[in-house]
Parts: sequence; C-alpha cells; structure tokens
Amino acid sequence: MLRRNVFSTALTIFSMGLIFYILAMILSGWWVSSHVVTVVQGEAELNVYLDETLVSTGPDVLQMIERIEGIEGVRAARLVDKEEAYQRMAEILGKEANVLERFEDNPFSAFVELKIDLEELDPILEALSQLEGVEYIRDNREVLDRLHQIAGVLSLIGLLVVVAVGVATLVIISHIIRLGIANNKEQINTLRLLGAPERFIATPFLVEGLVLTLGGGMLAVALAAGSINFLYAQLAGPLPFIPLPPREGLVAGTVIVVLSLSAVLGIVGSLLGFVSDLGA
Amino acid sequence: MIEAKGVCLRFPNGTMALNEIDLQVKPGEMVYVTGPSGSGKTSLLKLFMGIEYPTSGSLTVLVQPMIKGQTEGIRHLRTIIGPVFQEFKLIDGRTVVENVKLGMRFLDLSHEQLQENARDALQKVGLEHKALSLVENLSWGESQRVAIARAVARKPVLILADEPTGNLDKDNALKILDLLTSFITDETAVIITTHATHLIDTEKTDKVIRMAQGSLNWERLG
Repeated sequence: MLRRNVFSTALTIFSMGLIFYILAMILSGWWVSSHVVTVVQGEAELNVYLDETLVSTGPDVLQMIERIEGIEGVRAARLVDKEEAYQRMAEILGKEANVLERFEDNPFSAFVELKIDLEELDPILEALSQLEGVEYIRDNREVLDRLHQIAGVLSLIGLLVVVAVGVATLVIISHIIRLGIANNKEQINTLRLLGAPERFIATPFLVEGLVLTLGGGMLAVALAAGSINFLYAQLAGPLPFIPLPPREGLVAGTVIVVLSLSAVLGIVGSLLGFVSDLGA
Repeated sequence: MIEAKGVCLRFPNGTMALNEIDLQVKPGEMVYVTGPSGSGKTSLLKLFMGIEYPTSGSLTVLVQPMIKGQTEGIRHLRTIIGPVFQEFKLIDGRTVVENVKLGMRFLDLSHEQLQENARDALQKVGLEHKALSLVENLSWGESQRVAIARAVARKPVLILADEPTGNLDKDNALKILDLLTSFITDETAVIITTHATHLIDTEKTDKVIRMAQGSLNWERLG
C-alpha cells in the first residue's frame, strides 16, 4: 500500500550500513583490547636476572629459586637458561629469526621466571630487591598500565560511538517514517475512516524501519567481517606475540551485537516517527 | 439505528454548521438528505461517521454515543458502516479488487471470505471484468462504482453516500442511485446526500430530509 522510492531506500540502507560499520569496528577494537589486557594480566610475571656467578653455580641457583618461591604472592618460579631464552626469542621472531645468527655467542642471559598474583606485585618487588644475588628485575607493569589506558580510551570512544550511532539512527529513521506518513497521508486517513486499527496502519511503517536498519546492519557486518579477516591476516605475521581473541568468536560476536542493535533501533525509530506524527 | 436530539455543530471559527437537529433513522430505511451547497449535508454525514462531534445535543449511531474520547467504539463503528466518499478516496497505483479488499483487510475474515466478498461486490456494481484494472484508468462513473463496491463488500448495516451522483449525467446518476438503493435490506439502512432532488425516486424512499443553513425539515414518504 505504501509508496516507496527505491533509490531513496537503497541510499538509506547504504548510509545506515556505513554508520553501523563504524560501530562494528569500534566494538571489535574494544573487544580485542579488552581481551589482550585480560590475557596479559593473567600472564603477569616477573623476570629476575641473577648475578652471573650465581647462575653458573647449580646448587646456589636452586637455593635462590626456593627462597623466591617462598615469597608471598609468587605462584611459581623456574630457571630459564641461556639456550631456552635463545629459543624463545627465535620463536617470537619467526621468519626473522635468522638475524640471531649474526651473533657469535648467545647474547641472552639466563633468568628466573616468576608467575605472580598481580595484586602482590609491589610486596614481591620489595622482597626480591632485598635478596642478595638479584641483579635486575623486569616486570610488565608499564605494559599493563599502558594497555589499561588504551583499553579505557577505547571503551570511552566505544561508548560515545554507540550513543552517537543510536541517536543518529533514531533521528534518521523516525524522520524517514514521518516523511513516509506524510507521503501516504491520504491513504492513512482513508484507512482510519474505514475503521482500521492503529496497529494495522503502523505495521508497514515498523517493517519499513526494520528493513532499513537491518539492511544497513547486514551490510555493516559483511564489511566488518571482511575487515577483521583482513586485519588478522596482516597482524598474524608481524605481531605473532599479541594475544588476539579467536577470529571466529570476534566476528560472530560483532554480527550478533550489530544486527540486534540495528533491529532494536529500527523498531524504536519507526515507533518514534509514527507516534510523533500522531501527536502532531 | 441513528438517534439525534438537539444536535448542534459549531466550527472553531464560529460558523454554525448544524442547528438543533432532531432525527431518527431506522433499519431498512432509505433516506435522502437534500439541500444546496453549504446547507450542512456533508457535516451531518461527518457526524454519523465520527469525523466531527456534536458541539451540543446527543447523537447515537448504532448504539455508539458520538462523543470525543470514544476512540475504540467509533473505530469499531466505522467497520460496520459502508462509506461512499464524495472524492471516492481510492488508492492510486492499486487495482480495483485491491481497493475493494482494502476496507476488509483488518476485519476478522479468512482469505477465502475476503475474495468472495470482493467478487460479490464487484458483480453487484457490474465491474467484475475490471477487477485487475488500475483505478486511475477508470472513468468517473466506474470509480464511483468501485467506491460503492468497497463500501458494500464488508456487508455494512449502514451505508452513507455523500453526493454519489456528483457530476454524472442524469442516466448514470439514476443508475448509481438505483445501485445504492438495491443494498437496502431489513437490517441495512442507506443515507444519501444529494442536491439533485429531481433524481429522487419517491416510491423507494422512506424519508427526505431537506437542509437549509444548518437546519432541517423533513418529509416522511411511503
């Protein structure tokens, strides 16, 4: 019954798609950063570098490790010798590992790797600094703090984007519905004079709003899925040590959130447009 | 069926469209409302349909009090009335049969019942062969018959036709009036407004209401 302009509809779906695409990418970025922070937090560790003379003496090293394990908050401690340290770096470097062959000797030092409770970081550092034979302690606190900051900023940006997308979609859809009602005023009045209930009159407009936003949502998730797959392929090689969340889960989650949000916004926007026209 | 007592209708600009209207319409009656342009004929029909509400007095149509706020009751009333509007109010871009079905789509009818009612109505108005034609391709007389078909397809108990003869020549106008008259049954009343009093068939008419400047006189016939 309703008059529709096909070109206008296509344009609206395309615009909605771009808006939801931005939302999808921001949400994905927030998801990935949260995952990275969580994983890194779970891997909270300290690397304790001991005096070289101590390391070369087997029993002294074992004694030192026992003392370290006794510190409250230390969950586990083990010695990583020079060969293992070398192998670890080779794995991280992947295809670039051949750069290590330029060194005549193994450039890496042995260290004691500690798994700790993050909340006990400061007391553990204090206790370690008082141990004789501890030359240097490396923790990933700075990395964690930086990641927390980034995650916080992304969360804020994500929230602002969600709000902006929500408001923009509601305004656009309700305006389109009001225009649709204005274009079909005669028909709507005729239906009312024939006794049609308001839900019968409103249903085509609700469906129209839903189609516009869901169409845009589907376009957005298709673009987002392609973008995520592309980005993962690009990141996997150069940055293999970044603990990214599983790609399939990320894509599935993005699809569910974006499509659900687009459906809700479509229905609410249409209702707003219809109700505001009734009020006018 | 319709009971009006002391009904007045004053527009916001102060114009008194209807003044102290008293009338009754019973089931099965054929009623004409006549008078010159501006006499209040259309305003009277608008009151019966709930498009306007009496400023004073009381009006009941098919036991429904016609007062503001009775939204659901008046909406239901409109589903058992068959209106034939002066401007037809057909939906362009849709076929004849789609327009006829329009008035029934929100009623509790099965798909088969919908089809049957539409087919019967088009048969009665003689437009079955035009069922799939677009309404904008019809003549004035054919459009009027489609509007009548839409009104009668839902089997109303009250048919209200506002100036159905319009600009038709005498022969076609008489055909339209005959067509509307044919829908009278013991339970169904028909009210027609027209300024063409010479076309009224007094043998088939129960009442003629003459309106002038918002007031009425009426003449009982038969």
